[in-house]
Amino acid sequence: MASITLPNPGVAVAGAAHATTERAWVRWTLIAIAVTFLGVFLFLPLAVVFSSALEKGFSVYLAALRESDAMSAIKLTLIAAGIAVPLNMFFGVTAAWAIGKFDFFGKSLLVTLIDLPFSVSPVVSGLIYVLIFGLQGLLGPWLAVHDIKIIFAVPGIVLATLFVTFPFVARELIPLVESQGTEEEEAALTLGASGFQTFWRVTLPNIKWGLLYGVILCNARAMGEFGAVSVVSGHIRGRTNTMPLHIEILYNEYQFAPAFAVASLLALLALATLLAKTFVEWKARQQSAELKP
Amino acid sequence: MSIDAINISKNFGHFPALNKVNLEIPSGELVALLGPSGSGKTTLLRIIAGLEFPDSGTVRFDGNDIGARSARDRRVGFVFQHYALFRHMTVFENIAFGLRVRPRASRPSRAQIRAKVQELLKLIQLENLADRYPSQLSGGQRQRVALARALAVEPSVLLLDEPFGALDAKVRLELRRWLRQLHDEIHITSVFVTHDQEEALEVADRVVVMNEGRIEQVGSPEDVYNHPASPFVYNFLGNVNLFHGRVEEDKTYIQESETGHVVYVRPHLLDIARLPNDGSHFRARVKHINSAGPLVKVEAIAEWGDPVRVELPQERFRSLQLMKNEEVFIIPKDVKVFPARKEMARAK
Repeated sequence: MASITLPNPGVAVAGAAHATTERAWVRWTLIAIAVTFLGVFLFLPLAVVFSSALEKGFSVYLAALRESDAMSAIKLTLIAAGIAVPLNMFFGVTAAWAIGKFDFFGKSLLVTLIDLPFSVSPVVSGLIYVLIFGLQGLLGPWLAVHDIKIIFAVPGIVLATLFVTFPFVARELIPLVESQGTEEEEAALTLGASGFQTFWRVTLPNIKWGLLYGVILCNARAMGEFGAVSVVSGHIRGRTNTMPLHIEILYNEYQFAPAFAVASLLALLALATLLAKTFVEWKARQQSAELKP
Repeated sequence: MSIDAINISKNFGHFPALNKVNLEIPSGELVALLGPSGSGKTTLLRIIAGLEFPDSGTVRFDGNDIGARSARDRRVGFVFQHYALFRHMTVFENIAFGLRVRPRASRPSRAQIRAKVQELLKLIQLENLADRYPSQLSGGQRQRVALARALAVEPSVLLLDEPFGALDAKVRLELRRWLRQLHDEIHITSVFVTHDQEEALEVADRVVVMNEGRIEQVGSPEDVYNHPASPFVYNFLGNVNLFHGRVEEDKTYIQESETGHVVYVRPHLLDIARLPNDGSHFRARVKHINSAGPLVKVEAIAEWGDPVRVELPQERFRSLQLMKNEEVFIIPKDVKVFPARKEMARAK
């Protein structure tokens, strides 16, 4: 066979290493910029939240949280998230199952619709419900006759939260379900499993970490949502205020310490979310690395 | 259980995957569906399994129409090309799956399931790997687990979709012999899909050659190899040289300008000589020699300019002492002549 001249591999390797490494001063400058950015825009605000919250002492901090309006805001936030998250979890799983495992007419339209809450401003999302359920709205007169209150009441807040956090679980699961294909489900089917058994024993275990990840993000957003909820809530203290709304009111009334005290709870939630998210991501990676089909 | 596919047609959009296919598979046989990709072989298998439904036509098991039965109720064992093992379950749980999902009334007891799984693990020679996950197994081991899982539900038919396609050459050879052995032991009606003619010819009782949604030929491996019904079958079952020619009485003339007939010769049915014999022969120039392997592959350029592939036994090659760029005579020992049709162009 004719001999073929290959480029010197030593040179090639050295060149490749060089291509992805910058000189020292460039590296350090970039790192310094990144660290400064992180410090000023992320760590500093977080530190300010906690320091402002505890500025007037721990007793003031606790009092701000124990105050009845604050308690009711915390309660309402938990209720809204407690309803919205499970519902969106259910919806997300069914949507991902339908979109990932089946082909049907209008599939891409459905995918686009699922993304709608992401692309619409939260304020508009809130307004939509006011226009439908509000006193002057589409269903307003009918609701008024039957004495059902949605806008400026808890149902409206739950609805707005539901709408805004709609895509989180579905978005997380659709690519995952699609990438796993349908072979395992087909195998289960030929082995005599029913549709429900196939879902419960084959599909769900394969997506559980992705599902948990979606639920964590969904929950964080549900508890932190301001815009949409603000429009439908009516800001009735002790009745229709969620935590973010309560914080805003306190702040506008120059009650900085209590405002930051409640804000610190949300900040803690964010930190817990990050921790849980990191753990779940790590678990999911482990699973996908270990349990490749 | 015998399988009858009658007049099966299936389109995917505008693509006709199957076109009025008729196939009878007697009980207890091991049948290969052989064809290139896109020939419809996998679609036919999936239709038999109930994973796909035909646009028209019927499938019968033992004479009963099962078109309305779902895959769940057909009692077929299906083995997927990429195993499709449940990745979050151990080998044991994978094999036990089919028994555990049965309705309570017909579900075997825990002890019975355990015994059945142990028996199958023994059959696939993986008794000590019961607690492993699929990701911790080699490809060959995974495919054997997939087979055991399919057999656990005691199916009446075993269907395998390119069962060895994802394995490396050595394991593939081992596993297909093992499948043949297994079939000789348990005699379950089995159909497997493959695009590897060697695999089909070696393993199957009968070979079904498919092309473009149609069945080209059904027969024993000897039948289809020695008596191909169409140029496609001849072409697909081994390497060929294709020449144009014409037939006069009992003689075949190879000539470039002719378009009436197509002449096929397998590379190992060509011999090389230094001197012309008194029979048929043509001139050629040796272009390339590869002597690695049981046969020496010689590439030559025929006198009319087309490349010709010749395969010589090692001894013959040594006694010839063939050199590159040498002028030689090529002697066909056996040829297959088909009248030229449109298909030729595609077969080429």
